[in-house]
Amino acid sequence: MPDQTSKGMQCNEFELLLSDAIDGVLSGNGLDRFQAHAQVCRTCGPLLAEAEAGRNWLKGLTEVEPPASLLTNILVSTTGVDTQRLRVNERTLQPRISWWERVQASLFDGLLAPVWGIIRQPRFAMSFGMAFFALSVGLTVAGVKPADLREVSLRPKAIQQAYFHTQARVVHYYENIRVVYEVQARLREVKRNLAPAESGVKPARPAKQKDDKNDTTQQPEQNQERNYSQIENDLILASAPVGPSPSVIDASNHDASNRDASSPDLPVVSVTTDRRFV
Amino acid sequence: MEDVQVVAMLVRRCIAGDSAAWEEIVQTYSRRIYNICYRFAGSGDDAQDLTQEVFIKMYRTLPSYDHTKGAFVTWVTTITRNLLVDHFRKSKQDRMTDSIDTAASDHEDAQPLSEQIPDPSARPDAHVRSREVGETVHAALGRLSPELREAVILRDLQDMDYREIATVLKVPEGTVKSRINRGRAELARLLQRTYRQVM
Repeated sequence: MPDQTSKGMQCNEFELLLSDAIDGVLSGNGLDRFQAHAQVCRTCGPLLAEAEAGRNWLKGLTEVEPPASLLTNILVSTTGVDTQRLRVNERTLQPRISWWERVQASLFDGLLAPVWGIIRQPRFAMSFGMAFFALSVGLTVAGVKPADLREVSLRPKAIQQAYFHTQARVVHYYENIRVVYEVQARLREVKRNLAPAESGVKPARPAKQKDDKNDTTQQPEQNQERNYSQIENDLILASAPVGPSPSVIDASNHDASNRDASSPDLPVVSVTTDRRFV
Repeated sequence: MEDVQVVAMLVRRCIAGDSAAWEEIVQTYSRRIYNICYRFAGSGDDAQDLTQEVFIKMYRTLPSYDHTKGAFVTWVTTITRNLLVDHFRKSKQDRMTDSIDTAASDHEDAQPLSEQIPDPSARPDAHVRSREVGETVHAALGRLSPELREAVILRDLQDMDYREIATVLKVPEGTVKSRINRGRAELARLLQRTYRQVM
């Protein structure tokens, strides 16, 4: 800024008085000299106008409303509590807290806080939902209806009675099964005793054949049914009878003149066929 | 602005552990500090974080306040200003006075300030126009250098006198006046060029 002098005021003096002039505290002779310098100085005149305009712009700015949560956040970050007043209000507004609610609060906020924090995660909730869904589907498939559970009595005496009743049923079932097995064992023993007597009529098969996979003695049903498909490809050997049949004799007599008369017996003809006998 | 004795009593109660006294201090000064932070930082989120930091620092250093050395509001403003300067240095938002046609952000596609400002005559609603003018001035304020910006904020927005500002900024009163004048003039030049281009 050039240090000009007009009507007894220099530019540096003008700049020092600029704030006072804008604030309106400059008066008297000082104000006259200030205004005179502003009118003639090409540097200080625009400076005064710009400073006044800038001040007016800034004065036009309104105060910003802070967020509603600011106060609470500050108190929480400094003292760790929201506000005394809020706590008093909560105390007055809250109804009487039962002992069970206090126990729950102490458990969930104190001892079980880490576990409770995990449970409250969406991932755990999703897993729990899937498990519940799978359980409900399983119960539905198994035929268990929730309506049946209503009839279940949860009185101690009823539970005890149900326990003994179930135990008695299990014992009876076991006894019955044991009787059946004993009868079966006796019958098997009788069969085994009778087996040597039958061996005279029907010779026992060699031990090697008993181990044969094709032994169907233990499979009577399969033994009764002839499975022709298994012998379908077997060769069937057919042979003519030893004695000549009449037709054969006739033919042999008819052809005797043509054939070799020296052969008195008919030749044995073997025929193989793949025809299936039904 | 404040009754020295009342504030001194409040501070003593607060140091003694009276949370109600601290709550009263927070309620009294949070709005003022938030506005300083908002005008200096430029965004509401930053202002909220900075305001919280100011009160945390104030809560820790409250025993160091001596009411005989100055007003409590000056002490609070000094803490705020120091924290804002630290924040500015950390974030390296060196917003020296730029040309009005330079983009506000580093992005090459970002529009310059003159293009961000809507045409005031196109809005018939005076309230909307006033709000837009306020946003324009706020944006222009953010383009001032930090020294000029803090001086005009404390003077024209917080109505502090030159002596208090000099105490807060730790500079002589003459320097304070000079910065205020330069800041106002620079702001006017920025806005003048803006509206000249828009009109």
